[in-house]
Amino acid sequence: MEALFRRLSTERVPVRVHDVLIKGNAKTKDSLIEAEVEALKTATTVQELLQAAGIANARLQRLEIFDSVNITLDSGPPELPGTANVVVEVVEAKNPLSGDFGIFSKPEARSWSLEGSVKLKNLFGYGDLWDGSLAYGWDQTSEISAGLSLPRFKGLMTPLMARISLLSQDWSKFSSYKERALGFSLGLLSSRNHDLSYNLSWRTLSDPSQISSRTVRRQLGHGLLSTLKYTFKVDRRNSPLRPTQGYAFVSTSQLGGLVPDYRSLRFLRQEFDLRYAFPLGLLNAALNFGISSGVVFPWGNGFLNRPSYLPERFFLGGNSSPVCTLGGPTSILGFKSRGLGPAEPRRQVGENSTTESADASSEMDFLGGDFAVTGFADLSFDIPLKVFRDAGIHGHAFACTGSLTSLTENSYREFSLTKFKESFRHSAGFGIIVPTKLFRMEVNYCYILKKHEHDRGKTGVQFSFSSPL
Amino acid sequence: MEEVKNGEKLTLVTRKPCFGLPTACPTCLPVYIYLRFAQLPFDVEYNLIYPDSDQIPYVEFGSHVVYNNEKGGVIQSLKDEQTVDLDSDVSGIPEWVSTKAMVESWLAEAVMYELWVGSDGSSAQKIYYSDLPWPIGKCLYFKQIHMVKQLLGITKGNAERREEEIYRRATTAYNALSTRLGEQSFFFENRPTSLDAIFLGHALFTLHALPETSVLRSKLLDHANLVRYAENLKTEFVDADSSSSSVSPSQSDPSSSVPKRGPSNWKSNPKSKPKREKTEEEKKFKRRAKYFLVTQLVAVLVFISLLGGSNDAEVEFEDGDDGLDYE
Repeated sequence: MEALFRRLSTERVPVRVHDVLIKGNAKTKDSLIEAEVEALKTATTVQELLQAAGIANARLQRLEIFDSVNITLDSGPPELPGTANVVVEVVEAKNPLSGDFGIFSKPEARSWSLEGSVKLKNLFGYGDLWDGSLAYGWDQTSEISAGLSLPRFKGLMTPLMARISLLSQDWSKFSSYKERALGFSLGLLSSRNHDLSYNLSWRTLSDPSQISSRTVRRQLGHGLLSTLKYTFKVDRRNSPLRPTQGYAFVSTSQLGGLVPDYRSLRFLRQEFDLRYAFPLGLLNAALNFGISSGVVFPWGNGFLNRPSYLPERFFLGGNSSPVCTLGGPTSILGFKSRGLGPAEPRRQVGENSTTESADASSEMDFLGGDFAVTGFADLSFDIPLKVFRDAGIHGHAFACTGSLTSLTENSYREFSLTKFKESFRHSAGFGIIVPTKLFRMEVNYCYILKKHEHDRGKTGVQFSFSSPL
Repeated sequence: MEEVKNGEKLTLVTRKPCFGLPTACPTCLPVYIYLRFAQLPFDVEYNLIYPDSDQIPYVEFGSHVVYNNEKGGVIQSLKDEQTVDLDSDVSGIPEWVSTKAMVESWLAEAVMYELWVGSDGSSAQKIYYSDLPWPIGKCLYFKQIHMVKQLLGITKGNAERREEEIYRRATTAYNALSTRLGEQSFFFENRPTSLDAIFLGHALFTLHALPETSVLRSKLLDHANLVRYAENLKTEFVDADSSSSSVSPSQSDPSSSVPKRGPSNWKSNPKSKPKREKTEEEKKFKRRAKYFLVTQLVAVLVFISLLGGSNDAEVEFEDGDDGLDYE
């Protein structure tokens, strides 16, 4: 035995796979498992075979339909020396039904949500996962959805996903409208770097409180969204939560209005996000940079005069960590979510005139922008105390900047470099990050360097929680 | 009217124009006509994507809005706030009140029936759903038919009886209106009131937007004086300046008892102020309580995570002592 190990570690041992035997699958189709262990057959050395077996095992486990997967390498038939048989033994999950249930909190939106999901696995033996989920958020977001995912359907190489959902979102506090979307989405292509999906949904914007501003009022009603979304993603960072080395790039393109019906919503939306991290060598310190930008523009007849669709616009602000979120311009620490950018006074009701100037910002509707740019620099470092270091608690100092401007309805004509420069908001600060198994918490002191009149930004201590992916 | 002089205009938001009418929605048309009667300059904008909204039509004036689903409708709100009041002289006449009630109930019901149930629905499709994507338009159309049937109390069993009743009431109303009008150019006091706006809206809609086969339309056509009245006023007020929907400002005209007071009349929700004062202290208290809770929570979390973290560390040390590497 030891001789074999020594031989394996020193030289390449040639081998040919004679047969792959699959055992234990009562319901699961052979073709599904065969497709996942395909690489085993082409192995030419024992080392390769071992490696391929490891990968195949991981892949089968990832299907979530087996309780256990065992791959055994056996010698081939005696008349064929130098061959091996691979035995794949799977134990199918006894109970095809599984469920999750939980309560989540989003302090930045001051809301809680109740979420539950039920999964039905491998109903037809194609490794198909059926799931139904329900999320109910008190005065924020509720979603009910059902989905089907097929890891490998017939000859298709990539997983296929389909989902129908009914989503309702309440933006009354920020922009005085509620959004309801009944939709169907289809994941067409999904690989490490590429992702292509199609979405068809019926969206309704309404304003039950009847206090919305003029711009929001004009957009109330129904719309049909038919969009194709392509995401290209490269992530070469060493950790998504506390990157100290590497880079990441995400580009998301969205084309809306892909039905022959000219009355559907037509728009183009493009986002870029670039991250770069490099270590400083001292105290595990690292510098993170990020720049993201996004633009949305309508197309079709008379597109220059038309406003862009409100829910597809960009909104900045919020406490989510810019280091962790990858995928477009979103947060500037220190500003509340949807707390900056173009705004308009709400409908005036009651006798309140100028006396309530302190409350002026709550009388505004934030309308979002068609063009958004954000940037940040973040220096993270270990705190020189063993207890902290072992728990993963570290400190950081950051600076954020961002701008949100309107381009549509001919306002791009008034766009100038000085105005653009003027529209930037800055904030800076420092804080402590506490990562735990359940969530990631940040306690930050933010100092607003520059804000505009109606922005909801405040200098002070802020907490932010996020789930560790 | 100060702000009107400052250049701020009223804006009326209605449903789309078609059938040669400035707006083909039976709820919007009376409001349009009412504003034309008042000879106020106003802009018209269209909302084409929200057929099931009861807010439309609405009138905007700066940051003030008068919605149709509040305080008895747009016309009533405009009157209450003294912005546009054409009824000050007639609102005390019992006959005027009952005539208006008749038009607003019996005739409105008849139009609703004709538009959604009694016809093939092509008019409704054109007015409400022609600018929405096909599936959404269809869904909303069927939903609306269902709602109208419920509203009119029509079931499978009583459909015929209800139809008879609706048409009988409409006939009664037309007869009464025809007699009342005679050969005058307006129903009361020889000047336009909201009754004229509402009935003119109804008549123009019935004559132009309903299909030729419509029963209601033929019933109205039986009354030559009503038709003449509608067409005359249409040429005088509706078609007069259809290219730009704004009439030249004529505030000097004393006959139209338009706005005497400024925009403060638009604000009409005195409730909110005392409420806000009360909350000031509460807010402070709440904020402090929140800070307290958050600090407590953070302390607990930090404690837990530190404890958990150091436990992990200990395990690792033990592994190290054994000299084994489980990784």
